[in-house]
Amino acid sequence: MEFLRAASVDEALAAARDGAAFVAGGTNLVPDVLFGRKKISRAVDISRLDELRYIEEADGKIRIGALATVTDLLDSDLIRTAASPLHESALEFAGPLVRNRASVAGNLMDASPAADLAPPLLAQDAIVELVSVEGERALPLSEFFLDYRKTAVRPEELVTAIVIDPLGAEDRCAYYKLQLRRAMAIAVVGVAVVLRMNRGVCAEAVIGLGAVAAIPYRAHAAEAHLRGKEIGEVEIESAAAAAADSAQPIDDVRASASYRRKMCGVLVRRMLRKAMGMPQTVAV
Amino acid sequence: MNTYEINMRVNEKDETLDVQGDETLLRALRRIGYVEVKLSCEGGDCGACAILLDGVAVNACLMFAAQADGSEVTTVRGIGTEDDLHPVQEQLIEKGGVQCGFCTPGVVVSAKALLDENAAPSREDIQRGLAGNLCRCTGYKKIFEAVSAAARQMREGDDS
Repeated sequence: MEFLRAASVDEALAAARDGAAFVAGGTNLVPDVLFGRKKISRAVDISRLDELRYIEEADGKIRIGALATVTDLLDSDLIRTAASPLHESALEFAGPLVRNRASVAGNLMDASPAADLAPPLLAQDAIVELVSVEGERALPLSEFFLDYRKTAVRPEELVTAIVIDPLGAEDRCAYYKLQLRRAMAIAVVGVAVVLRMNRGVCAEAVIGLGAVAAIPYRAHAAEAHLRGKEIGEVEIESAAAAAADSAQPIDDVRASASYRRKMCGVLVRRMLRKAMGMPQTVAV
Repeated sequence: MNTYEINMRVNEKDETLDVQGDETLLRALRRIGYVEVKLSCEGGDCGACAILLDGVAVNACLMFAAQADGSEVTTVRGIGTEDDLHPVQEQLIEKGGVQCGFCTPGVVVSAKALLDENAAPSREDIQRGLAGNLCRCTGYKKIFEAVSAAARQMREGDDS
């Protein structure tokens, strides 16, 4: 395997080609290469491109540089206050040794169905910005994941930033990662809900789900039960049922498909109730 | 085979070595003698290979050695010596936080990184700070006690 360290984004793009892979933190790619799960002919090291490592507010959006680490998310007051589901997901992400290297873009590019950052980013309408020698383009995260471990990103394209809508004072949100232990665990189910409220009415509802299908996805059918409504028991029960219906989980070592589907509904209900400040129906 | 010459400063000693493009930093460090960096899962799950890379605690198995070119690496041997132990090391001995010892180099690295950022960690802070380090012997209780005692010792400036 050839190794190239890129000194600039342009250099990285010039080195990109079929069979090459960009490597940032390396926390997924390096063991994948070591154990032969991925064959690459060239690694293009982008880990020193500090111009891609930032978290900032611009034009009413939060811009997260592709190489911001998961630790950077945790350390950011902006993320904590205006993207709290993302902040909570960062806290449940692996352990500190991994968080210090793993980049936000890398978690998305790995395209695991259980990618921890995907549900909260989906729930805040994330846009992924890409660049290649041909130019720039932007892709909604909801169109980014195509199939199991397959993204819409072309081999010669590099993620440069992820842009999300900050949460306002009226907006409601909640996040939960169901996992077998509180660290270094792959999600059994991941749920992020964001409800954009306007005078007591839910103007926009977004529910991001992880680990219950081949890709992380938005539960559009569930969202439709909430959008434009005053959210009460009926709306929440309908949304939870629709979310469970939408799940297409698998059986694996962590949980059965039927457990995942059931928990998907339970957790969507709990997170909607939590977001709305309603008591839980059973002790959580 | 693609080989690359890289330079690192390991425990304040300059090292120049040739690495393969796909060689991990962990394997390269062990190859030139830094065998205190333990090789175990090689998947980032166990933390036995934890080092400080430019002061930040990371798993050496999860990066290519060539990515560390120009970096400063600190292993457990750079954190304290037998004659001058770091408080974390002293307290791991004192509290019985070492059994087989295989996880200890990584635990010391993570604990030092934690205490450098948080001089008075709660029990939960310590648990979260060591969340990336597996220990199959101690049940963690003695390790947590040792880190807590080390924090106290460092705050009191008592290096006896």
